[in-house]
Amino acid sequence: MSSGPPQDLGADFLDDFYAECDEHLTAIRHGLTSLDHSVGRAEPDAAVVEKLFRNFHSFKGNAAIVGLRPAEELAHAAEDFLRQLSRGGAMVSTKGLDLLMSATQRLEQMVASHRAGENLPNATALCDALREISGTDAPPATTQSVPASEDSVQATLESKVEVARAQGKTLWQFRFSPHRDLDLRGVNVNSVRQRIARYGEILQSTPHVDSASSIVFEFIAALNETPADLAAWEADGIHVQPFESVAREPRPEQSDASSDTAAGPFVAPSHVVRVDLSRLDELMRITGEMVIHRARLDDQISRLLRPGAQTDPRSLQEISTALARDLRELREGIMRVRLVPVSEIFSRMPFVVRDLARDSNKQIRLTLTGQQTEIDKYIVERLKDPLLHLVRNCISHGIELPDERTAAGKDLQATIFLRASTTGDSVLIEMGDDGRGIDAEFVVRRAVEQGLPISSELNPNAILNLICQPGFSTRSETDRAAGRGVGMSVVQSVVRELGGTLALDSTPGKGTRFSLRLPLTLAIADVFIVSANELICAVPQSFVQEVLPLEPDAIRRIGGTEVIPYRDGILPLFRLRDMFRIDAALTSSQTVLVLRSERGSIGLAVDRIHGQREVVVRAIRDPLIQVPGVAGATELGDGRPVLILDAAELTSGVVRPNPGETPGARNTFAVAI
Amino acid sequence: MPTETFVLFELAGTTYGLPSREVQHIEMLDHVTPVPNTIPSVEGVVFSRGQVIPAMNLRVRFGFPREEHTLKTRLIVVQVHRRSVALIVDAAREFRPIPETAIRPIEETIAGINNNYLCGVAQLGDRLILLLNVDAVLNLGEANRVAESAAMARTPSVSDQPVTASV
Repeated sequence: MSSGPPQDLGADFLDDFYAECDEHLTAIRHGLTSLDHSVGRAEPDAAVVEKLFRNFHSFKGNAAIVGLRPAEELAHAAEDFLRQLSRGGAMVSTKGLDLLMSATQRLEQMVASHRAGENLPNATALCDALREISGTDAPPATTQSVPASEDSVQATLESKVEVARAQGKTLWQFRFSPHRDLDLRGVNVNSVRQRIARYGEILQSTPHVDSASSIVFEFIAALNETPADLAAWEADGIHVQPFESVAREPRPEQSDASSDTAAGPFVAPSHVVRVDLSRLDELMRITGEMVIHRARLDDQISRLLRPGAQTDPRSLQEISTALARDLRELREGIMRVRLVPVSEIFSRMPFVVRDLARDSNKQIRLTLTGQQTEIDKYIVERLKDPLLHLVRNCISHGIELPDERTAAGKDLQATIFLRASTTGDSVLIEMGDDGRGIDAEFVVRRAVEQGLPISSELNPNAILNLICQPGFSTRSETDRAAGRGVGMSVVQSVVRELGGTLALDSTPGKGTRFSLRLPLTLAIADVFIVSANELICAVPQSFVQEVLPLEPDAIRRIGGTEVIPYRDGILPLFRLRDMFRIDAALTSSQTVLVLRSERGSIGLAVDRIHGQREVVVRAIRDPLIQVPGVAGATELGDGRPVLILDAAELTSGVVRPNPGETPGARNTFAVAI
Repeated sequence: MPTETFVLFELAGTTYGLPSREVQHIEMLDHVTPVPNTIPSVEGVVFSRGQVIPAMNLRVRFGFPREEHTLKTRLIVVQVHRRSVALIVDAAREFRPIPETAIRPIEETIAGINNNYLCGVAQLGDRLILLLNVDAVLNLGEANRVAESAAMARTPSVSDQPVTASV
């Protein structure tokens, strides 16, 4: 596998580009959020402005490489404005910040459009506005105001070529095809770019897709001197030739090429993880140790094979233990590589909130906590839409208009908070507001109107289940922020698919809080293996607070529910046997696992605890088997699936065992709705 | 003449056919892990190629009485729309090419049976083979659920116990 198919090469390079763009945009968002505090002050935080400036600048360079002219242009305008700021020539005004934020969003859209192969959104007005506010009259020659037409791109190049010729520089055309082998030697688009830049100025860089659909980067540069080692350039896959004239490049091919580039089957940047070098070093170290242990194992085996040999079984055991430790470390190491800070999602929220607040004439302050909390990359990607939806929902339904807030004696400015924290092997993400809360009666009324099933109880979980019903909507007409009646059900199904849980707290008049509990990583969990008769189940260890013997005499009944005394209070008792309708005779005393989550506590009665294990969690994706109370499945070496109980759901009261159910219904435990 | 290969299986004394392109593999029934709170026909889950997939008892799905699994009981793992489901059937041991001309639509052949799950009938000599519409069988729509519950009510012999299958 020395070289992959050409598509892959192109995809790799564009992947890199998208990932880098993402990185810069994330950094820019960070910066803008902190700049927000400088509004109205004469001297904004110089370090922040400087950093923003550099980020926009790098973004511009990136955009230039793949020929994203309008994005390059817009980034340049933002850069100019920031330069003015850092020189003290402008004050950070709300308007300026708004423009920068809009520009950031537009840049993101441009990258997204480029990736999807769609037309780029127009940014001319934004560019003009930025230039106006920074007092730059005419854009510099390198970034002429470019409406996204190829004609003017060519015209710009033409004028640049003329200028360069007039200055007596020589014009060269460089064509570079990235290749895996070259990349290994450190020759990539960036290094080529730098190499050319050492000799002069790059007038234009354009990526093409050639007939074999591999990517070719073409640079047209005005050089002060001719490189002496042109042969070496060729050896590095850089084809050099004198540049004749602009007209040599037929336009149609160029436009075709760029659309091909964008429309290709490229992997989204969401699959790229940037890894801290120290984490990779750690993986290398572990691998090195494994090599040593394997050599020791080989040694022992050859001793065993010698006639009449005697080997101490303990040394084999020792090697096995060492290898087991290595494997565990390796696994943890790889898991850490997959972890990214949750700020990847959080940092885009200020923009969303700002926009929606403006659209809805509401005043909102957003507080972000725990942005450095790390979570699996895949989970972060999947959470983007659900969280966005929750925030939108909260602004359009939860937050009141300023008048209403004043009348209710609240601060004019509403607060939305996003919090992330790690607890054991799960991550808790909370999103809440100090708005009007959820009107339970209204929700029920709407649900009845929409023909959805209603339960008699109206606890927060019942309400949550109602608003998560597909098709539930509190609005008759849709508005921009929310209300298409699909959102909450999508939120719940994504969270469930990720093996997480969703909970709701709402106090009328005080506010609403959604809590998403998600596994830190998808693959591995520490569990207790328990059984009831012959049935074996796994219980996530992070929820198990204590293990007690079940004393039958201590069981009491309260309203049909069994409870046992626990510490100073009581604990509802769930029997694993009831959950699976096992009525074989008990042969021994039972054990209770005290499960605790932020939603509540229960005692889970099991026949036996077989021990503690690390297991590989398999998601349950088929709707036929996605049932409340079951988080996933695993296997213990015999190929038989073992269910992993959903402790968060069991403790939340959403699921309760129902031994007294009428015969005929096979449902072995009821869902409270 | 266009011909398609079918996997033939037995269920309550009747032969059914499934297009073999929809069948991933067939295996003996080893163990089904019961899952609480599913619809009655879903006995539980099995592993298939590293995936956890539902095991659906076709007898229950079609309203026949549930029966003990035997040595002949088979799991047919079908895949439609990138979704895999294991179907538990009484027996399966035949692959058979069936020419298109031997297949008739269901309406003109049998009246009065619940033919929601069928997409045709094939006549091979004196054998009648009911051709299964897997999509309809796996459809979780409310109507299906209701139909299944009604079938359950009619057949009180269907056990309420989760079935731990044994060979």
